[in-house]
Amino acid sequence: MTTNRVTKALRIAWAIGEKDMRIYYLRPGSVIFGILFPFSMFLSYIVGRNVSVEQAIPILVAQTLFFASSSIGPMTIPLERRLRTFDRYLSAPVSLRTVLLGKTLSGFFYGLGISLIPIIIGVLFFQSTVTNILMLSAGVLLSAFCFASMGLMFASIPGQSPGQVMMPMNFVRIPLLFISGVFIPLSELPVWGQSLSIFSPLTHTIELVKGGLGGENIFGSLVNVAVLVVYVLVFLFVGIRFHIINQRKE
Amino acid sequence: MVETVSTAIKTVDLTKRYDKLVAVDHINFEVKRGEIFGFLGPNGAGKTTTTRMLIGISRPTEGTAEILGYDILKQSVQAKELMGIIPDVSNVYTELSAWNNLIFTARLYDVPRIEREGRAKELLQLFGLFERRKERVEGFSKGMKRRLCIAMALMNKSSVLFLDEPTTGLDVQSSLTIRNLVKELNADGLTVFVTTHNMEEANQLCDRVAIIDKGKIVAIDTPEMLKTTMQKLQRIEFSFVGAKKNVINDLRELQYVTDATKNGDKYRLNTENVPKLLAEIWQYSSKNHLIINTLNTLGPNLEDVFVEITGITPETKQKTVGAKR
Repeated sequence: MTTNRVTKALRIAWAIGEKDMRIYYLRPGSVIFGILFPFSMFLSYIVGRNVSVEQAIPILVAQTLFFASSSIGPMTIPLERRLRTFDRYLSAPVSLRTVLLGKTLSGFFYGLGISLIPIIIGVLFFQSTVTNILMLSAGVLLSAFCFASMGLMFASIPGQSPGQVMMPMNFVRIPLLFISGVFIPLSELPVWGQSLSIFSPLTHTIELVKGGLGGENIFGSLVNVAVLVVYVLVFLFVGIRFHIINQRKE
Repeated sequence: MVETVSTAIKTVDLTKRYDKLVAVDHINFEVKRGEIFGFLGPNGAGKTTTTRMLIGISRPTEGTAEILGYDILKQSVQAKELMGIIPDVSNVYTELSAWNNLIFTARLYDVPRIEREGRAKELLQLFGLFERRKERVEGFSKGMKRRLCIAMALMNKSSVLFLDEPTTGLDVQSSLTIRNLVKELNADGLTVFVTTHNMEEANQLCDRVAIIDKGKIVAIDTPEMLKTTMQKLQRIEFSFVGAKKNVINDLRELQYVTDATKNGDKYRLNTENVPKLLAEIWQYSSKNHLIINTLNTLGPNLEDVFVEITGITPETKQKTVGAKR
């Protein structure tokens, strides 16, 4: 009985995720915030600097994972509230958790798909080598889920326009770039910066991706995985709670 | 359970408060299975809030409701499985084709794969959209989107259909098509709960209507029974050939007139006694050498009943009164 319920919820969540992929992946907002934004930030970082491929590829992968995965929830949920298509989920015989899982899945696959591109390009054209497939997979998969959950949490901000969610989210996303070893390597950060960096999920994404592509890993892969898992749980818990509170206010 | 239940919708003290505002105040009504039930009320009366509670989007502050015996709070999944919902805006996915809209809806209701395609084909044919099933919905007219929205609401073989303002903003042909479709679906046994501002639509479609005002149900009956309870709203409308300007003042003085207005070249007199007033008009015209050009006796329509019960007045009239003060 419980298994049936779970498989039914997964089927419906997948249907929602797949529908979002068809509708929202190529919308201007998703492309701008999910692809162009991290790519242009990456360019601004490497142009004119002597950055090696080993350093550049993990940063690009982490940035695309971070921005792409976290952009889909804040793009789709406010828009669907405005177009009243979100009401379709609320009046359907599915729980809000299932709906939110579907939304998280669409963010997860968006980040996953886009971050695979720099990895493939790196391996095919720039002699990048995957030295630890397990660490790389853990980094990409966990981070995609973590940042999709983060997007879901921010999408609980009541609003009917993606901008109302993207603006506050960027207040968090952009500062994280500075304390996560994206622009400044962790070893060059001041002590307070290094202490803060352990709390940033993006730090652990970069660490795992670097580790997977033959770079050095400072905190250790177990710490990286543990921190990302904790963030997934926290983002999902807080996000779902706020969405439920919002629905009760209806 | 569903087969044996004769009540499709039942509300028990259904209430919704937003802080101090009571949007819906302890409303109780029942909709019988197979009925078309109209839910009427002025803007802000609580129609949409009630509907949103019934379909599970909004949570009641107090009281509850049942859909075919299933409590909307305790058995919300079972209740929602039996409902089809058509909101006031056609909330279809415009980036998808008509076909994909239906298939997605079926997946949302976990309709088995084997049934999905047959059902989608059947509904697209019924609603005249089959030829354009592969086109993106953004190119559809308002009427086509509305029909698609109804088809989506039927994908789960719903037993109770909730329609919110089904024909608002549609042209005459599309409105007629939608009304006919609703009647046909109802003839096949579907219970329909329709929220509308359109009194004529409610009059034509509904077996019974409820009028909600300021969050409370103020009347509930068949349209004809509601009209007959409003005897004082009976009217005689007529015109004279070559009548002078002050005729309306004379007519107001007639014994059986409760109210008199002049609309264009016609005089409209309200009365509770049509035969006596007819005799008075006849006497008045003979005495003043006036020839009656046209004459009709009119019973109250649903709009009159609605206006009388809710006590609404035109906004311009209120403004004028306010300005004079």
